[in-house]
Amino acid sequence: MVQKVQSTQSKDSKTIWTIGGGKGGSGKSFITANMGICLSKFGSRVILVDADLGGANLHTFLGLPPPVFTLSDFIKKRVKNLHEVLIPTEVPNLLLLTGAQDLLNAMDSKNVQKRKLLRSIQHLEGDYLLVDLGGGNSISVLDFFLMSDGGILVVTPEPTSIENTYRFLKSAFYRRLRHSVSSQAVKGLIDNAMDQKSEMAIHNPHELVKAAKRVNEEEARKIEIEVETFQPNLILNQVRSRKDIEIGFSIRSACQKYFGIRLHYLGYVVYDQDVGYSIRRRRPLVLENAHSRAAQCVSEIASKLASRHQMSFQF
Amino acid sequence: MPPNWPVAIRCPSSFDTMAMKGIDEQTYYEILEISPGATSKEIQKAYEHARETFHADSLAVYSLFSPQEIQEIRGAIEEAYRVLMDESLRKSYDQSHDQILGQQQRSEMPPEIAVPLREKKASPVSAEGSVHTGDEIYRGKTLRQIRERMSIDLETIAQETRISLKTLEFIEGEDLEKLPPLVYLRGFLKGYAQSLALDAHKVVEDYLRFLNEEKKRSS
Repeated sequence: MVQKVQSTQSKDSKTIWTIGGGKGGSGKSFITANMGICLSKFGSRVILVDADLGGANLHTFLGLPPPVFTLSDFIKKRVKNLHEVLIPTEVPNLLLLTGAQDLLNAMDSKNVQKRKLLRSIQHLEGDYLLVDLGGGNSISVLDFFLMSDGGILVVTPEPTSIENTYRFLKSAFYRRLRHSVSSQAVKGLIDNAMDQKSEMAIHNPHELVKAAKRVNEEEARKIEIEVETFQPNLILNQVRSRKDIEIGFSIRSACQKYFGIRLHYLGYVVYDQDVGYSIRRRRPLVLENAHSRAAQCVSEIASKLASRHQMSFQF
Repeated sequence: MPPNWPVAIRCPSSFDTMAMKGIDEQTYYEILEISPGATSKEIQKAYEHARETFHADSLAVYSLFSPQEIQEIRGAIEEAYRVLMDESLRKSYDQSHDQILGQQQRSEMPPEIAVPLREKKASPVSAEGSVHTGDEIYRGKTLRQIRERMSIDLETIAQETRISLKTLEFIEGEDLEKLPPLVYLRGFLKGYAQSLALDAHKVVEDYLRFLNEEKKRSS
């Protein structure tokens, strides 16, 4: 079952941003780490969560050695409190939590203990929880992405990256719709819409709503409401030209025409050799070279997130 | 960062309330993602963006839409642009869609981009006039057509861009002999394109390519 935004409405109004989609190498970990640092520097308490199953190395982007304590130490009761496995960084107010496998297992499980783990994470003290999901497309990754009402997609202006992002978005979108309805008949229609080889003539979300209306008007309305409230975010990484920047607007328009959703184009990060240098030195770019072009782009995006947070505590 | 790069993301559209509608159910304003109160400059900008998004080579659409759907959307974009850029056609379209457009206007989001309003002047534009289509290149003739369709006179462009009226006339008239040297022409074309909310890079590129071809032909 998808956990919706209760997490963001907890008593300390924590905002959860999940960073996923696209493909490996599009810069999700780089952006998560550097954005987290920027938010901390703005005065917020930030916890970075490494949930990248394929390559959990957020610590490297923060200049930290491989972590000694992970979530499994808490699960196996080697430590008493969850905050004991939080790893401090050189930036005040910025902590790291690792243990991708345990985290995603908890998402996937009905086990009470594991559900408790998720609740503990949600109750950690902090203003922001930034979760690096990596490039995976599994059910638990999708559910984590949907945990906040809008995750962040990191895309590079290349066909492969855009294709993968759309694939991820489609899976997340239909999964969200499926959870919103109770009628088995309508769930069946959603499954058909996901299956492009299905014999039923449902090829896109618009045709799905039409078909759902024929079956159950009330359930169709629920789908429409889910579509209206699903507002993921987009960051375009490694842009090299003005034309690349405009691809972000085009993706936004394409999503509006296809899904009927409002995708927020948060910003872009320019291709910058300083990024590669900083990763090789295992030093976060925004600390190592704050005046580099890419660092400035990340900082600008972080300040947008921060101001949005101030405008509305509910993500 | 190059000086002409946007420092902040500004959305080319301000219309975000189309929800789940097929392209054949959307109003012309929804198709171009603009508000029913959009100025001709905003329509032009939105059209440029939509044309680019659904261009045959666009990376943003080929894996989401079928070729047939892309074709259909492109047709709808061209039709929306043709009607909305024509004062009399737009008026009658607005009247016939009064109710639905009123709802859209009310539910419209605040614009994310501030485009200075340029009042339309009362110069009748022929409904039969050719529209700048996606496959056409920007040359002098095309720029003049777009400007006239937006009901902007050349003097206004001259005042806004500080390009002399004569130079603008030579650009539009494709007067090869009288055009300024290339180094200046680039800047003038860029300024002119920006004043019409066109893609400056594409205008300069197209115009200079056209110029080269004309020179080759005449030699």
